[in-house]
Amino acid sequence: MSLPEPTDGLGPWQLFLCRACGLIYDEGEGDPDSGLPPGTRFADIPDDWACPICGVTKSDFEPYQRRAPVAPVPASLVPQRRPGVVIVGGGIGGWSVAEAIRAEDAELPITLVSACDGSLYHKPELSVALGRGLTPDALRRETGAAAAARLSLRLMADTVAVGLSPERHALRTTRGTLPYTHLVLAHGARPALPDCLDPALCWRVNDLAGWSSLHAELARGPRTVAVIGAGMVGCELAEDLARAGHAVTLLGAKALPLPELLPEQAGRRLLAGLEGVGVRYRGASLVSGLSRRPDGTVALALSDGTSLAAATVIAATGLATPSRLVRGAGLAFDRGIVVDPATLRTSGPDIFGLGDCISIAGRPCRFIEPIARQAAVIADAILGRAHPGYAHAAPVIRLKTRSAPIALHGTPVADRPWHVVEESEHRLAMEQRQGGEITAWLAA
Amino acid sequence: MSSALALRPADDSVGPVPPATPNRPDWTDEAVLAGAKAIADGPLSAAAAEIDRGAYPLEILGRLGGAGALAVHLDRHGGRFGLSVAAMQAASRACGATGFLMWCHDVCGLYLEQSGNPALTGAVLDDHAAGRSFGGTALSNPMKAFAGIEPILLRARRVPGGYRVSGMLPWVSHIGPGQYCGAIAGVVGANDTISHEIMFVLACDRAELRPCPHFSGMEGTSTWGVRLDDLFVGHDDLIADPARPFIGRIRGAFILLQCGMGLGVAEGSLNAMLAVEETLGHVNQFLDDRPDAIAAELAELRARVMRLAETPYDGATDYLIDVLDARAQVSELALRASQSALLHQGARGYLMSAAPQRRIREAHFVAIVTPAIKHLRWEMARLSRETLPTVTEGSRA
Repeated sequence: MSLPEPTDGLGPWQLFLCRACGLIYDEGEGDPDSGLPPGTRFADIPDDWACPICGVTKSDFEPYQRRAPVAPVPASLVPQRRPGVVIVGGGIGGWSVAEAIRAEDAELPITLVSACDGSLYHKPELSVALGRGLTPDALRRETGAAAAARLSLRLMADTVAVGLSPERHALRTTRGTLPYTHLVLAHGARPALPDCLDPALCWRVNDLAGWSSLHAELARGPRTVAVIGAGMVGCELAEDLARAGHAVTLLGAKALPLPELLPEQAGRRLLAGLEGVGVRYRGASLVSGLSRRPDGTVALALSDGTSLAAATVIAATGLATPSRLVRGAGLAFDRGIVVDPATLRTSGPDIFGLGDCISIAGRPCRFIEPIARQAAVIADAILGRAHPGYAHAAPVIRLKTRSAPIALHGTPVADRPWHVVEESEHRLAMEQRQGGEITAWLAA
Repeated sequence: MSSALALRPADDSVGPVPPATPNRPDWTDEAVLAGAKAIADGPLSAAAAEIDRGAYPLEILGRLGGAGALAVHLDRHGGRFGLSVAAMQAASRACGATGFLMWCHDVCGLYLEQSGNPALTGAVLDDHAAGRSFGGTALSNPMKAFAGIEPILLRARRVPGGYRVSGMLPWVSHIGPGQYCGAIAGVVGANDTISHEIMFVLACDRAELRPCPHFSGMEGTSTWGVRLDDLFVGHDDLIADPARPFIGRIRGAFILLQCGMGLGVAEGSLNAMLAVEETLGHVNQFLDDRPDAIAAELAELRARVMRLAETPYDGATDYLIDVLDARAQVSELALRASQSALLHQGARGYLMSAAPQRRIREAHFVAIVTPAIKHLRWEMARLSRETLPTVTEGSRA
């Protein structure tokens, strides 16, 4: 339809959007059915005119700029006629299973559902990246889209798995319901924030997106940072932040950092190392609340009645596996999705689990090392190939605090006594024993 | 066939419920459900095509009210949400439009009772609950506004003794002369910004009702555009001030009740498939979404809805996501079941007088009425995101 050209000197015809129903009033076209001839300026429309579709009045319209039309892009070149495998989780666990399946089968349809953009990165790097001056782009090894194309799978990014019907083999997501032949749960764990910590006032570092936002926050220069929680992640982040030039206070619940894992001698070495790079440790401190101060910093109220302030607060208070999806589906859950220790099958038919979201014998295992082996077991089970089974072994725990690196082997038990094997200025070796057997040993 | 029959959702259990309150001892679970079914299978089935074309079934709603089907979710009648959903499902099996009107009426009753306002919880609510007076809900726009989907359309300003409200709402159902609805307006404070919202009972006789364009179906829902011009809202009209905490409290119940509509449309569709199984089963066996599959999903979903109906005021985020998930699945199932029913019935289901083609339109209504599938997914995605600090401007060290 050819429109009259404006001759009133008021510039090109403008568009106005009805906020109630989305109708667009085009001044060039007018609204002849309501008596507005083509070329009626919005300002000249009588006040009693109503939207021809929904009837709201002129005041409920707003100026509108038409965007360039976007042609639909075929999202996937992979035909998805068969349901195939659906993987929930775009982290290392999810991608590892996809890689393991593709290593043996080029055809099986795979859909990967990720609540984030599905970027591939090496998660342990997040706790040492600031000190190395890394950026989000440097940490991202491959975009989700590129990995999806390489592996011929369908990636559903920014998509949340919200419901599961195991008997019908159907996963409900925020972008539609997916039938599956096999389902792999690799959605990880989420930061477990105590109620007293306002999530809008403290950062958590558990994925690349969270780290990237924190990176942007810290990019403007050195600032005071408080890290709540002196577990592994808290200690590593505190050192990393200090190496990046920030003034760091690390708050721990006990006198020494990492008390659940380390005997006193090792804890003292760790503390000395952290203090050596400039971290200030505040032991025996429990945070009872956070609040924004007038100057924009955050006040941390401590349970002993004192308080401190920091420009940036990071909570490293542990992880917990979200349980809504699996509990709602009637799957067994015990601090994580319960899986068979050899097959990694959950209690639901054709549903497997791996990585941070599972628990074996009631214990979550949140380390990277077992994931590739777990993925191989699951891929072989899905492809119907024989596999000797997953053999769970406690991974070596390496604390990435360069100031005082510590490696723990075996199965440390919190209350069992540690025996010194070697103690010198440069080296500490200790072990735990039970019935004459060495069950855990550490080197610091 | 046998498996389909075995899975038919004939199970009408609605979970443990408190006993009916003494003032209506006749409204037992069994009596209310039997009454709703009798009305649905009798006069409502007979009137369904007329209602689809524009007949507003106030007389049938009055009968449903007399049977207790519009009251049992209220605290004063035992808070029996499961029973309320079951009654709505029974009616929707016959007529989706009437199921929708029951939902409009049910949530309006919920607003009145939960307001705690003595002017709204006495005889006004008694008449409403018993189906002697009628009112609906105008919360489509504010619900979307609270979710960040669109701006709020009604604006209020404070005046001595209350507020004055102006604005235009498109498409408000179950209203008309002598009727009323719950509505929400943004209170405009200094600098023309909205300080908070109020929720109030809007008497239709004090507003201008404007006819709507023709809809493709469900025309008997008495749906109007509502224009308010400086309407005074006094304390006796107020449901909640501020409105957001109130909405936060009833939101799960509000959305959960809608499940009765979609379950009923799906069940009606299932029945239509089964009705032709004997004569057309030999060819229908090649269709997708066969009766046994639909029946199994319907049974599972209905059981989940009934479980959720035991705790309609649970304030946990996980509970709300469960409700949104169930509501979205109800829409998806109604869409699939209604399409499959038409395919099962073939040409006879395509006749203008046939229920299957009407149910296709009803199912699409279930899927687009607020909260639509897309709104539900938007909200589930929002509720699933972690809250993080915003990157602060300027440098504070």
